[in-house]
Amino acid sequence: MESSSILDSLGVEIIGVMAPVSICMFLVVLLTYSLSVTSDSQIRTAANLIYIENPSDSATVKLEGSLENAIVFVVLVAAVTFVLVLLFYYNFTNFLKHYMRFSAFFVLGTMGGAIFLSIIQHFSIPVDSITCFVLLFNFTILGTLSVFSGGMPILVRQCYMVVMGIVVAAWFTKLPEWTTWFILVALALYDLVAVLAPGGPLKLLVELASTRDEELPAMVYEARPTVSSHHGRNRGSSLRALVSGGGGGGVSDSGSVELQAVRENSHNLDYNAVAVRDIDNVDGNGNRNRDSVDRSPSEGHFASSVSSEHSTVVGIRESIESRGSVADEEMSPLVELMGWGDDREDLRGFEESNNVENLRNGIKLGLGDFIFYSVLVGRAAMYDLMTVYACYLAIISGLGCTLILLSVYNRALPALPISIMLGVVFYFLTRLLMEPFVVGMTTNLMMF
Amino acid sequence: MTIAAGIGYALVALGPSLSLFVSVVSKKPFLILTLLSSTLVWLVSLIVLSGLWRPFLPLKANVRWPYALLVISSVCFQEALRFLFWKVYKRLEDVLDSFADRISRPRLFLTDKLQIALAGGLGHGVAHAVFFCLSLLTPAFGPATFYVDRCSKVPFFLISAIIALAFVTIHTFSMVIAFEGYAKGNKVDQVIVPVIHLAAGMLTLVNFASEGCVIGVPLLYVLASLTLVHCGKMVWQRLIESRNQSSPSR
Repeated sequence: MESSSILDSLGVEIIGVMAPVSICMFLVVLLTYSLSVTSDSQIRTAANLIYIENPSDSATVKLEGSLENAIVFVVLVAAVTFVLVLLFYYNFTNFLKHYMRFSAFFVLGTMGGAIFLSIIQHFSIPVDSITCFVLLFNFTILGTLSVFSGGMPILVRQCYMVVMGIVVAAWFTKLPEWTTWFILVALALYDLVAVLAPGGPLKLLVELASTRDEELPAMVYEARPTVSSHHGRNRGSSLRALVSGGGGGGVSDSGSVELQAVRENSHNLDYNAVAVRDIDNVDGNGNRNRDSVDRSPSEGHFASSVSSEHSTVVGIRESIESRGSVADEEMSPLVELMGWGDDREDLRGFEESNNVENLRNGIKLGLGDFIFYSVLVGRAAMYDLMTVYACYLAIISGLGCTLILLSVYNRALPALPISIMLGVVFYFLTRLLMEPFVVGMTTNLMMF
Repeated sequence: MTIAAGIGYALVALGPSLSLFVSVVSKKPFLILTLLSSTLVWLVSLIVLSGLWRPFLPLKANVRWPYALLVISSVCFQEALRFLFWKVYKRLEDVLDSFADRISRPRLFLTDKLQIALAGGLGHGVAHAVFFCLSLLTPAFGPATFYVDRCSKVPFFLISAIIALAFVTIHTFSMVIAFEGYAKGNKVDQVIVPVIHLAAGMLTLVNFASEGCVIGVPLLYVLASLTLVHCGKMVWQRLIESRNQSSPSR
C-alpha cells in the first residue's frame, strides 16, 4: 500500500472547475436573497431594449415581448462577438486588451459599487463615504490589474473572475422573469451555434487563437495555475506573459464564452511511439508539459524524465517521485477520465495512435458561463429554495457532462447548452410537480 | 435570533453530514462527484415520483391509506433505483480497476469502495434533507415560527429537521450496507435495507395521530441507530477480514 489509490487524484480538474462555479452561484443566491427586498426597481440594459415587462401584462404580451428582447440581445451579443473576432483577426490585440481592461474596471467600479452600496444600505453598515470610495477604488484597481497583468497570484485572478461573475449575474437577476428565461434559452442556443457551427464567431475565435498560439482575448477562468512565464522560452510570440484575460465587454458580450481545453499538442509523437505503455507516456508528457509551464523548471529533472521515458516504468516513477507528489497530481485527471470514462476500443486506439492532444494545461471556462449559470440560480432563488437546489444540481451535472464530452471530443465546447437546458427543465419540473408533492408531504410530517 | 434559529435548524438536519463531508468526502474529488451524482439521482427519483402522484394531489388530510400507498410506492421506486445505482457503480468500479491496472497503480482498496458507498449514501441523505427539510426552511429565517396541529409541542421546523436527521443517517449508512450486501451476495443485507427504509417511512405515518410525533420520532431514531450499529459492525468485520487476508501475503 505504498502508493496511494487512484481515487485520490481522479477528477481534480472537474472539481477545480465546479468549485468556483458553485461558489459563484452560492454567493449570487445569497445576494439575491438578502437584497431582494430593496431592489425591485426595473433596470434597463441591452437585455430588455424592446419590451419592459410589467407584471400585469397578459401572458401573450409577455411572451412576445420577452421573445423580442431575447432575439435582440442575442443579435447584439453576436454582433459584438463578430467585431471582437474581426479585431482579433486584424491583430488589434492591444486594443482589445485595453478595452477589456476598461470594461473590467467599469464593471467592478460601477456595477460592483452599486451592489456594495445596496449591501451597505441594507445591513446599515457604518462606513463613511470617503473610506468607502477608497476601498472601492483599491478593490477595482486590484481587480483590473489582476485580470490582465502577469505576476499576480493565480488565486487573486481566479477570485476576481468569480467576483466579476457575481457582480454581473447579480445585475442580471434584476431582469424581469420572462425575459430572463427567454434570454437564457436563447443564449444557450446561440452558444451552441457559435462554438460548434462552422463559421460561428466563437469557433473562429478559438481556432484563430490556437493557430496563432495566442491567448484567447476574452474573459476566461483558468482552473489550473498556468504560471505567468517571465521566461516565455517555449513559446516564441507567446502572450502567455499576459494573463488570458479580457473583460469580455462587460454586460453586452459576456455571452462570448465557451469551454475550452487548452491544447498542448507539442511533442506527443515521439513519446507515444512506445504504444504498450501509453499511459506511462502520458506521464512523461505530463512532466514535460508541466516543465514547460512550470515556474521553476529544473532542467535536470526535465532531462531525466525525458531520458528515462524509454526506460523502465520504475525510472519514470522515480522521476515523478523526485518531483514530489505535486507532479503526480499534475498528470491530468481529464486524460485519465478519457481513459476510463469511455474505454471503448476505438478510443484506446485513438489514444495509442497519439492524436490525442493533452488537456493538462487546464480547463478554461468563460466568464459568461459563470454569469448565466448564476443568473439561472438567482432567478430560481426568487421563487423558492427548492428550485435553487434543483437548478444547482442540474447545472452542475450539465457542467459535468460537458466536461466529460470535452475529454472525449478534445475541442472547444459550449458550456451553456446542456447546463441551461437541464436547469430550465428542472426548474419548471420542480416548480410544477415537486413542490406541491413535497410541501404536502412535509406539512403532514411525512417523509421517506 | 431568527437567522440564528434558521441556521440552527439547518445544522440540526445537516450538521453530521456536513462534518462527514468535510472530513471524508471533500478530500477526494471523485467522492464529491459521486455525492453530486447520487444527489442528482435522488432528485430525479423525487421528480418522477411527484410527477406520478401529481394528479392525486392534494390528498385528503384525514385519510391515512393514500399516504401509506404513497410511501410504499416511493420506497419501492427508490429501492429499485438504488439497485440500478449499484449496477452503474459496479461497472464504474470495473472501469476504475482496469484503469488502475493500466497506469500500474493499485486497484481500489476496500476502504475506497466503502468510501464511495458512503459518498453515494450521503448524497441520498443530503438530498433528502435538502428537499424535505431545508427547502421549507425559508420562513424560519423570518421573525415568526410555525406549528402544525398534530405536533403542537415543537415548532414545525425543528421537528422536520429532527426527522430529516434520522433519515439522513438511515440513507447514508443503508447505502453502505446495501453495497456491501450486493458485493458479497449477502441476502440479509440486501433485504434489510428496503425493510428499514420502508419501516422508517411507515413510522412517519404515526405522526398522523394527534401528538403522534412523541412516539414516532423516538421510534425513528431507534431505527436510525439500528442502521448505524449494523453498518458499523459490518464494516468493522470487513476491515478485520481484509486485514487478515492481506497480512499473510506480506
